[in-house]
Amino acid sequence: MGFRLYKEPRLDNPVLIACWPGIGNIGIIAVDILRRMVGAEDLGEIESWDFFYPRRVLIRDGELKDLEFPSNKFYFKRTEKMDLLLFIGEEQPTDGTKAYAEGTKAYRMANLVLDVALKFGCRKVYTSGAAVAPIHHTARSRVWVVPNREDLIDEVKSYENTVLMSDIEGRDGQGNITGLNGLLLGVAKKRGLEAICVMGEIPIYIHGFPIPYPKGSKAVLEVLSTVLGIEVQMDEINALVQQSDREIESVYERLPSEIREQLDKLKYVAYARPNEPGPITEEDKKRILQEIDRLFKKEPGRD
Amino acid sequence: MIAWNQDAGRVGPKVADYLNKELASRELAEIDPEGFFSLSGVSVEDDIAQFPESKFYWCRGKSLVIFKSDIPRYEWYEFLSLVLDIAEKYCKVKEIYTVGGMVSPGAHTTPRLLLSVANSTEMKRMLRKYDLISDMDYETQDGQRPTFSSFLLWAAKRRNIAGASLWVPVPFYLLAVEDPGACKKVTEFFDRRFELNINFADMHDEITRQDRKIAQIRSQLPELDGYINKLENDLGLTVDESEKLVKEMEEWLRGGY
Repeated sequence: MGFRLYKEPRLDNPVLIACWPGIGNIGIIAVDILRRMVGAEDLGEIESWDFFYPRRVLIRDGELKDLEFPSNKFYFKRTEKMDLLLFIGEEQPTDGTKAYAEGTKAYRMANLVLDVALKFGCRKVYTSGAAVAPIHHTARSRVWVVPNREDLIDEVKSYENTVLMSDIEGRDGQGNITGLNGLLLGVAKKRGLEAICVMGEIPIYIHGFPIPYPKGSKAVLEVLSTVLGIEVQMDEINALVQQSDREIESVYERLPSEIREQLDKLKYVAYARPNEPGPITEEDKKRILQEIDRLFKKEPGRD
Repeated sequence: MIAWNQDAGRVGPKVADYLNKELASRELAEIDPEGFFSLSGVSVEDDIAQFPESKFYWCRGKSLVIFKSDIPRYEWYEFLSLVLDIAEKYCKVKEIYTVGGMVSPGAHTTPRLLLSVANSTEMKRMLRKYDLISDMDYETQDGQRPTFSSFLLWAAKRRNIAGASLWVPVPFYLLAVEDPGACKKVTEFFDRRFELNINFADMHDEITRQDRKIAQIRSQLPELDGYINKLENDLGLTVDESEKLVKEMEEWLRGGY
């Protein structure tokens, strides 16, 4: 069990940006666009067969030619400001019953990613994911930031359009980051590495559906671009945001007017106060989610 | 030879049992289920409590080791590595064959074919002298995943162990019962490949019994006869017709009407 490196470039204290799929694929879309924009080169991979069941077999003329597993690849790029290591996992290793990794396999994978990072002298890690928030889909997503050390608080506060857990009413600085995008922060802490998770917001009424939310990805990309001192062309992500906006809007328009009116309240209130009656009650929320679920299921051609 | 208990028409385990009986095989080793299977209780099948089993059998005087196992639920690659470790280090295995049934839309009166997928060109070449269909093209479709046998074949290839998956089509209406004709086809291959001198008498008896029973069903139930006639003439059945054929055939063959 381990990793395989295709090459061993000399890197100067690279920063690692690691990501696995999650809600709205917010992190993975952002990191993949970043990878392509900076022109990162292939560096290596984690041997996926230890973690995953194969997803595709190719048999040609009676001979097994290939067995394909979800990929877990490393990339690297030397930039003027800093050297970058990127890791993109196509799937989170699970026991088949949960959507997000946990337990031994997740811990093993997190350690393998950090083994490679440390091998190249990395001291700082960024992961990315989604923050489910009571926002409207027309609003600009903010980015929730969670560092793994107290002395990183000032740094993360300086990023534009970000919030700490303690900035969010009712949270009191508490929360969870599910799966490997969160676990890596903990394992990094254990191994003495600084780590920060940046999570783009996704509206609460959209997060349960298997659709990407590029608006959240764009917010993450903007933060990463600033942090890394890299200018990233936003054309591609802007096009994705526009397309996604159109799709969400077409579903939204077909919602019963009473549901839409409830959701429209989110345009004006950033976060509901849990100790007071919010703009949307729990009962409203349940009804809204059921209604949207019904609409998505009716949508032709949607998985 | 490797057989998985979770197999279409139970071809693999039936062939393993038959070879074990005919060759008076003895248990050689087993893989402990811990870590590979859900041990949260037991399943019950045909009134009997089941428990995952992964056993190697050794056939005295023959160049054959049989591994019969349930397909693990966790740690697939680790499980396959263990299988290959035992096969390689303790049994000095040179070739690995997996056996499995595949669903066929054809009739039971159609002669059984044996399809092979090799994990190397050399293995494919070696298998040419046997009566196998060895030109299959296949790619996993959306919503499906590769068989565990393919995973094993790939893992064997990584160790430079020659391997092949043998697949025998089983008529869809015999999947829930058994298809001795399919089992015989596979057993014949092993008999020839490893000069086992298998006595096929019991298998012939079983085929004759099943053929007679199906003939009886056809004479008593003209509707089912019509369905099988259609299949024999390469005509498809509707979903309702297929379901009825499966249900009735299972009831009659299991119930022994």
